[in-house]
Amino acid sequence: MKLSWGPEEEAFRAEIAAFLDEHTPEQLRDGRDWIGEEADEVPQWARDWQALLFDAGWMIPAYPPELGGRNATPLQTLVYQEELAARGVPRSVHFGGYGIVGPSLLEFGDEAQRALAPAAIRGDTVWCVGMSEPDAGSDLGSLATRAELDGDSFVVNGQKVWTSYAEWAERCFLYVRTNPSAPKHQGISVLILDMDTPGVEVRPLRHITGNAEFAEVFLVDAVVPRSNLVGELDEGWRITMGSLAHERGGLWLEGVGYAQRALDGLVELARDRGLAGDPVVRRRLGELHEEVRSIRALGYKGFASFAQGSSAPEHSYMKLAASELRQRLNEFGMDLQGAYATVTDPTLAAQGGRFQAAWQMSLAATIGGGTSEIQRNIVANRVLGLPRG
Amino acid sequence: MCWGCPVVDFALSDEQQLLRDTARALFTKECPPSLVRDAFYDVTDAGPAAARAFHDTRLREWAALGDGPLVDLALFLEESGAVLAPGPLWVSAAWALPLLRAAGHTEADAVADGSLTATVAVADATGRWEPGDHDECWFVPHLGEVDRVVFLRSGPSVLVVDAAEVVGSPIEALDRTRPLARVAVPAGSTSPVDPAAVADATDRATVGLAAELVGVGRWLQEATLAYVAERVQFDKPVGSFQGLQWKLVDASLHQERASAAVAYAAMCVDADDVDRASAVHVAKAAAGGSARHWARTGLQAHGGIGYTWEHDLHLRLRRAYGGDHLLGDADWHRDRLAALLLD
Ligand SMILES: Cc1cc2nc3c(=O)[nH]c(=O)nc-3n(C[C@H](O)[C@H](O)[C@H](O)COP(=O)(O)OP(=O)(O)OC[C@H]3O[C@@H](n4cnc5c(N)ncnc54)[C@H](O)[C@@H]3O)c2cc1C
Repeated sequence: MKLSWGPEEEAFRAEIAAFLDEHTPEQLRDGRDWIGEEADEVPQWARDWQALLFDAGWMIPAYPPELGGRNATPLQTLVYQEELAARGVPRSVHFGGYGIVGPSLLEFGDEAQRALAPAAIRGDTVWCVGMSEPDAGSDLGSLATRAELDGDSFVVNGQKVWTSYAEWAERCFLYVRTNPSAPKHQGISVLILDMDTPGVEVRPLRHITGNAEFAEVFLVDAVVPRSNLVGELDEGWRITMGSLAHERGGLWLEGVGYAQRALDGLVELARDRGLAGDPVVRRRLGELHEEVRSIRALGYKGFASFAQGSSAPEHSYMKLAASELRQRLNEFGMDLQGAYATVTDPTLAAQGGRFQAAWQMSLAATIGGGTSEIQRNIVANRVLGLPRG
Repeated sequence: MCWGCPVVDFALSDEQQLLRDTARALFTKECPPSLVRDAFYDVTDAGPAAARAFHDTRLREWAALGDGPLVDLALFLEESGAVLAPGPLWVSAAWALPLLRAAGHTEADAVADGSLTATVAVADATGRWEPGDHDECWFVPHLGEVDRVVFLRSGPSVLVVDAAEVVGSPIEALDRTRPLARVAVPAGSTSPVDPAAVADATDRATVGLAAELVGVGRWLQEATLAYVAERVQFDKPVGSFQGLQWKLVDASLHQERASAAVAYAAMCVDADDVDRASAVHVAKAAAGGSARHWARTGLQAHGGIGYTWEHDLHLRLRRAYGGDHLLGDADWHRDRLAALLLD
């Protein structure tokens, strides 16, 4: 065990730090947690930012330059993720394209489909990911949107829900059932859907924040060419697992960086409110600090196994821990404001209403991407090896 | 905060792996549950002597780890904590030894090679773990088992006394494997020590104790997971019930945090990293909290059997609570963290 970075990592860090300091758009600075603007399309500044990262080889550093990277090592990727996390800077305002679709196309697509990956990662094409349905949430394997092969095309009927960025998206990475008689995880396929296909209708859904970031997507006899099938027919379930494997070692850093910045804000808030001497407030801040730092240590421990190529059970804990902690941090930030706790007017609430806004958003963190309950089931069965119920 | 500072490579080197394996083999083979039980709980005629003999013949030599990297000492103490290994190894190697080194004491070498053992007396009757001028020291661990007592006094300064010459009386407490005593501070001239060296010794003692607690939590976790897989009710292993599973998951997350935090703190101390002060408090708070969490959860998951004297679970429950309250409980360390953040 050791505690130091080598000079090569430090040089790498200096390079990305300088890049971020110089180029990060105003809208994403100061740990401002970007709340989707009410916009019909991805804002131009956000497109420019993602394209700039790609062209400079800073989008997915582990990839080669033609895919927005610079062939970075796992350790360099970690350094990169640390610098993003410390600043709270997102690479993109729509995660699906570079986080899920691009890497999946590269791994599972044919040549023509792989050619779509650079634009997905660069953000030139905006993608949404259509997995969840009204009757298939945590139990994704029960999805029912039907795609029937008819000659050279699929005819798709069904409904998706909670589809983030569907309004912005030009394409959808769509999970469909192609074989209703096979066992449920074996009859699923993935299609590339053009969002302007006749029969596709997007109805925006508002979040509790008031923003319409996600949507319902209705599909009525939508025709998708057979060549848009990704991977083998009926073998789409494998693809649900494939996203950014090489970044998994450090994806947790985003959650930890977030928590650390929230904690910094809490310390400032306690001082501003004259509560820095209050023993209850102090105890609580100490406790939150303990959690943030021990979760961070856990993440690094997982990275050590990841970098050595072993499986890292630590990572199964990270989403669960970071998302629940995030809610507690923000809720405490509201509580510290007394009667102003629920005041959302940014000119009245402390720190521009940051905690009130972030708290509302944090409520999604324990639902999206697998609920906390599902994460606990995963840890119970796969990490602790407890018998299945 | 400083993201750029620490790197943290948690991978064990080959030597560390060997150290851990050696410690595990030693404790599995030679420190069975009956050894601890016969010495401290169902005390047999031969029990205390057997425990003493185990310490004297098998553990004394490991005191040398106290002079080396804290990472290594912590690895060993996690293993000794898991089995509740008898004797004063922790206090002697992790606390008294660095204090004696700081004082340039002539007997430091003897404590390092295990030919002498020592304990530390610092707390006052209110349980403050800080050097002072009080005439009685409280919560002194392993008094009856050591050769020397290091009194840590205001200044800071130390007074090293032959244990045979001090007047102490035992404090009846939950954890019998780590006996505590109150001791009158004898007259004698103290020698000044560098405050930074005292702080360093406290950090080593605190992280060492936290490492033991990680071992205690680990034992409880392993025993509980094994039990719930095997115990059947309603025609199913009780470990398949989700209501129970989630409690176990939450305790295991606490345990993972604690284990990572202790390893990180040990690395920070060894590197004298800027994050060191915070890391030590985080480690003790997380480890004390996790051991207690597992003690409660483990007992609950065992049902009635866990509440019996015969089951070894309560031995760890006692150590979990006892260890948390030694050298500052989790809340005390959280308050120190708050001081680092706010003052
Ligand atoms: C902000 C946001 C963005 C999203 N974006 C997308 C997107 O872009 N694309 C997409 O496809 N989906 C998206 N989702 C959907 C998300 O993946 C689902 O909401 C999630 O998987 C949960 O499914 P559900 O909402 O149907 O809840 P359900 O699965 O119906 O769960 C209801 C409750 O039951 C619990 N539960 C379910 N099963 C179990 C079990 N086995 N054991 C114990 N408890 C259980 C759940 O934890 C939850 O508390 C998004 C969701 C949110 C909140």
